[in-house]
Amino acid sequence: MEPEVESPEIDSIVSDLCDMLQRYNKEQIALGAETSLSSELNIDSVEVMDLIMEIEDKFDIDIPINLISDVETVADLARLVHERMKGG
Amino acid sequence: MELTATSNPVLPFRVGTFETIWEGLDYAARGETGCNFFSSRGAPARSLPYSEIRERALDLALRLSTLDLPRGSRFAIVAETSPHFLIFFYACQYVGLIPVPLPLSINLGGHDAHVARLRAMLAAAQPAAAVASRELLPTLAQAAAGLGARLIGTPEDFDALPAAGGALAPFNKDEPCYIQYSSGSTMDPKGVMVSQRAITTNARAIGRDGLRLRAGDRAASWLPLYHDMGLVGFCITPMLAQVSIDYLATSTFAVRPLTWLQLISERRCTIAFSPTFGYELCLRRAAKANAMNLDLSSWRVAGIGGEMIRPDVLEQFAAAFGPHGFDRRAFLPSYGLAEATLAVSFAPLGEGVVVDSVDRDKYEFTRRAVPVKSNGAAQRTRSFVACGSVLPEYAVEIRDDNGRTLPDRTIGRICIQGPSLMEGYYRNPAATRQMKLADGWLDTGDMGYAVGGTLFVTGRRKDMIICNGRNIWPQDLEWAVESLADVRTGSVAAFSVDDDDGDERVVIVVECYFAEPARQRALVQDISAIIHRTAGVHCEVMLVPARTLIFTSSGKLSRAAAKARYLNDGLRAIDVGIDATPAYGFDAEQRIAAAG
Repeated sequence: MEPEVESPEIDSIVSDLCDMLQRYNKEQIALGAETSLSSELNIDSVEVMDLIMEIEDKFDIDIPINLISDVETVADLARLVHERMKGG
Repeated sequence: MELTATSNPVLPFRVGTFETIWEGLDYAARGETGCNFFSSRGAPARSLPYSEIRERALDLALRLSTLDLPRGSRFAIVAETSPHFLIFFYACQYVGLIPVPLPLSINLGGHDAHVARLRAMLAAAQPAAAVASRELLPTLAQAAAGLGARLIGTPEDFDALPAAGGALAPFNKDEPCYIQYSSGSTMDPKGVMVSQRAITTNARAIGRDGLRLRAGDRAASWLPLYHDMGLVGFCITPMLAQVSIDYLATSTFAVRPLTWLQLISERRCTIAFSPTFGYELCLRRAAKANAMNLDLSSWRVAGIGGEMIRPDVLEQFAAAFGPHGFDRRAFLPSYGLAEATLAVSFAPLGEGVVVDSVDRDKYEFTRRAVPVKSNGAAQRTRSFVACGSVLPEYAVEIRDDNGRTLPDRTIGRICIQGPSLMEGYYRNPAATRQMKLADGWLDTGDMGYAVGGTLFVTGRRKDMIICNGRNIWPQDLEWAVESLADVRTGSVAAFSVDDDDGDERVVIVVECYFAEPARQRALVQDISAIIHRTAGVHCEVMLVPARTLIFTSSGKLSRAAAKARYLNDGLRAIDVGIDATPAYGFDAEQRIAAAG
């Protein structure tokens, strides 16, 4: 599958998110836009909530948790953050 | 923003003396109390006095009546913690439609599983209409596709229906009230049909006898409104007693659990409930509480229900939040189930958690709960929390498999009788027959024992493992395995399968979150060892990839589903390169050692 072309803002959010995700990266896998949060990073349900809190605090946004069921990769998460920053 | 008052200055306080939901709302609407919704940072977001909830519900009811849906049609409502949920739920009451609250998903990447779960519920309930917020509507529409609902829309879509020509047709006291989906596995959801009589009777018993609600009480809740504890305990019961409620979304609590405590502290709330794990989430963040100036001294009822109660967690919570004004005597263990509407028993108010420590070997081998002597420090013990005596007009009996009543301190099936038992699961007579006994009693499916009228819950009967004459409760095994550093909470399923010679053998399925073979081998060995230490049995350990196990609609791990897939070879095991299935059974030496 062709990687989607992302805006520079999203690239920058991906990079911030990868930094934040290091704390949960127990296997020290290489993190990037297409890393799967659930199947590669294996982040558990309690850790997800910790991560959401950190993201909300860092970007000063609210993330409706109902929307995270559509989040699979770091890029999905970055797009969600980007939308919320625009007031989406 | 002005929040609703804690008590009504003029309107007399009435606890649940109503025969229908709408009569209770009509009465509450004459006062100043109501419901308040807080943002994800704990700031007030919306405030609706019961008078406004009623007014908007009546307006919507008129509009819904113009759809000419047959009386008793189901109306599915995706149950976000929002004013809209309350308005739609109550509007249905005024126009003879049966609301069906539907769950939300908060799982990362869980979209497809959530759609499948919603679809199974919708297929069972066959709603004529369904509503979800703009954000959640696409998921609802996907789940409901082709199931025949006439209208699927946002709250605004329904608000835009014409009101002209509409007429109210409220449910009377002999009619249904709502359908509760919280039992059963994801693919076979069982909807409890709750009648007006059942809900008003149970709410009265909870408010009057269990919690002894009084003017000045104020409730705080993060519990989902699609669960019986959230809907009955922290929506309908307070409304039927004109008690104000401060709501946090479940997701807010999951991300920032201390917001719940902050709300209780700032709003001077007196009543809040949670399963044990909610107290555990607060504990994880306890270090942050010091900066918050919490004052939890107003919290007179800190209820616990919904799953097996773990006394050690509650003890730690009391120790951590005692310095913030939390009084451990506020803990109120309770027992209930959706099939009884909600509550069956409450511990006495003001006594906190009372634990019965019993001899573990006698408990496992003889099904007797024999208290340990204070000097028996060397004995293996097991602790159970007292869940109080049943509410007035209810009765509980501990019965054996042949329906005979068992004496005190003997473990058996918890069977109940009372005025709020369900008549049945909606359009599911086979599942109903499994629960309802010929004499009108209900077999809860839970195991427990009684001591002088006090109920102790020990586990779920249908999951019990009997191995070499020993009764083993799978959650005991799961908790033991979860205590290992490499195992995550909620990622273990324990069950038994029939062996060739008619005995049962124990299987432990564990989700594995790492890839190194050496570490996996060590984990398998550690699991075998801890199971042996916990229950004295050999077991087969199967490591499976992350996210393999299936959860029920109320978020509990489905052991039955894990077992069915195991038996059908539907589980993909990780090959760890060692024989993980040692000789089954129990050698005589160990058995004697364990029996002491």
